[in-house]
Amino acid sequence: MFDDVSDIIIQIRNLSKIYGDGVEIKALDAIDLDIKRGEFIAIVGPSGSGKSTLLHQIGILDTPTSGTILLKGIDITKMSDKQRSKMRNEELGFIFQYHHLLPDFNALENVMMPLLIKGTKRSKAKKMAFELLKEVGLEDRINHRTHQLSGGQNQRVAIARALVNKPSIVIGDEPTGNLDTKKSDSIYELLRRLNKEYNQTFILVTHDERMAAKTDRIIRIVDGKIAEDSKNRKDF
Amino acid sequence: MFELDVATRHIKSRRRQTLFSIIAVSLAVGIIIIFMSMMSGYTSILIDSTTENQAHITIMPKEDEDYIYLYHGLENHIHTLKGVGGVSSYLQNEAALQYKHNAEGVLLYGINPEDEKRVVNRDKYMLAGEFVSIDNPGSRMILGFKLAKNLDVNMGNSVTVQIPGAEPTDFTITGIFQTGTPIDETMAFVNLGRLQDLHGSGDVVTGIGIKIFDVYDAEELANGIDRETGYDAISWMEQNAEILNLMETSESMVYFFYIIIFSISGFGIANVLIMIVMEKVGEIGMLMAMGTSRRSIMLIFLLEAGILGMAGVVIGCVLGYGASLAIASITIPIPPEMYFGMDHLPVVIELKNFISASAFAMVINIVAGVFPARRASKMNPVEAIQSV
Repeated sequence: MFDDVSDIIIQIRNLSKIYGDGVEIKALDAIDLDIKRGEFIAIVGPSGSGKSTLLHQIGILDTPTSGTILLKGIDITKMSDKQRSKMRNEELGFIFQYHHLLPDFNALENVMMPLLIKGTKRSKAKKMAFELLKEVGLEDRINHRTHQLSGGQNQRVAIARALVNKPSIVIGDEPTGNLDTKKSDSIYELLRRLNKEYNQTFILVTHDERMAAKTDRIIRIVDGKIAEDSKNRKDF
Repeated sequence: MFELDVATRHIKSRRRQTLFSIIAVSLAVGIIIIFMSMMSGYTSILIDSTTENQAHITIMPKEDEDYIYLYHGLENHIHTLKGVGGVSSYLQNEAALQYKHNAEGVLLYGINPEDEKRVVNRDKYMLAGEFVSIDNPGSRMILGFKLAKNLDVNMGNSVTVQIPGAEPTDFTITGIFQTGTPIDETMAFVNLGRLQDLHGSGDVVTGIGIKIFDVYDAEELANGIDRETGYDAISWMEQNAEILNLMETSESMVYFFYIIIFSISGFGIANVLIMIVMEKVGEIGMLMAMGTSRRSIMLIFLLEAGILGMAGVVIGCVLGYGASLAIASITIPIPPEMYFGMDHLPVVIELKNFISASAFAMVINIVAGVFPARRASKMNPVEAIQSV
């Protein structure tokens, strides 16, 4: 039923998330899911279907009501708050619809931030951040702050920030949702190139079916359940 | 330390509020340093004045006796005690002084001027004449400035001394003193031997004054003399217990005001931090997503409180120092005999006042930062990120 475990980076079993105080809303309903190292996945579904909730669970930003999530074989649902923070810093990179860059810092400093949180030396962090900004084509914008950059440029900085710690998994919640088609395509191409270059697992929640169609695997969530998992579509 | 980076950037992002909260802390620290310096000044002048104008320890007769009879032996014993700088026996008597139609009630002290000078520096307060003049043969007297004024006597005038049970005797004024304290109106000095003759009670005294090198040892030394000799030895603290208690009470009251003033400035800091937390919700969520622990989030905001507080403390100390110096230089237009002869506000600038005001301010500011810091650290990262 499931893949060869040696390749699996995320293993989700019987994952449920119930919200509500009084009236209960089942955002995730007994999800089982395996994700392989290096996969480029799109999670799609209608609004309120539970796709972002699933992403937040994988991203260790939220805790499930029941079930387990093994990340590299470690059950993240049983971790302490401190361990969760460390895991987020070292194994996960986040790209959100709104870039969420720190407005008081310039592009370079924003990209350096995950490394500084990790405790990397400032000089080393600066060098690594610059390399990634160069990679996303913003080497001439390193001293610019968010208000001095376009939407697409800000999102590129956010991508560089998500990747700077060399995380195993990059999570994107509507990463192109705030951009026009041309910029969306450009961001997608960038993510795809980085995915191939660094062999990192990319999990993107998107409403954009056109973009989802370009990924390796589409997981469709409806009413908190996996309604479709087209993980073999590349083989067709 | 990325927490410090984030904290300083947050502060810089709200320049106006930052400035106002720093001003609030500065004013609080500055005002309290001025208060403390003035309190120290008043305390110091009061204690100096008290310990300079009276014996540090006074030995009184035994409970059922009116006089100290074998006082020479007692004097010699006290001289051998460690820390004693001078011993002066005296005979104190209530008396009436009369000059022409003026009469005043006084406390007449018979002293040996050379001994007395070792206990209280009477020379320092002499307006006219010399304190040792009463050592010369004849009936000579030194009296307080106000007393002389009330009697309308001058140097060289003769006043009649009336002591109950003794013949009226004339004394020549050979000195006038001014201490700026109530004794200027009530005290007069004559030679001990002369007063003993007049009194007719023989070679006795009513008290022995002792000067010691460290005034704060008075209580301990007095207790020792008490135990050893059986005489009632009273320290200057005990003699002035009411004033000292009043000073302690007023200090407690002042501390209450310090707390209020610092709390107001603390609210200023809390307000700025709450504003920053509210404004930076999304940013806090993103920092958490990047792996910042709740402890680090809390630290960021406590550092902000600390930075604001520290800036306010430094400026407040400079402000307090400058203002204290300025206040100390102000001349008060009051008669010199009032307030211990002061003609300026008594300000004593002490390092301990700066340290305690600064420490107090820092503690209040950090405490003020705890609520917003806790609020930030308790945020749900998903809700924080989605709030933008």
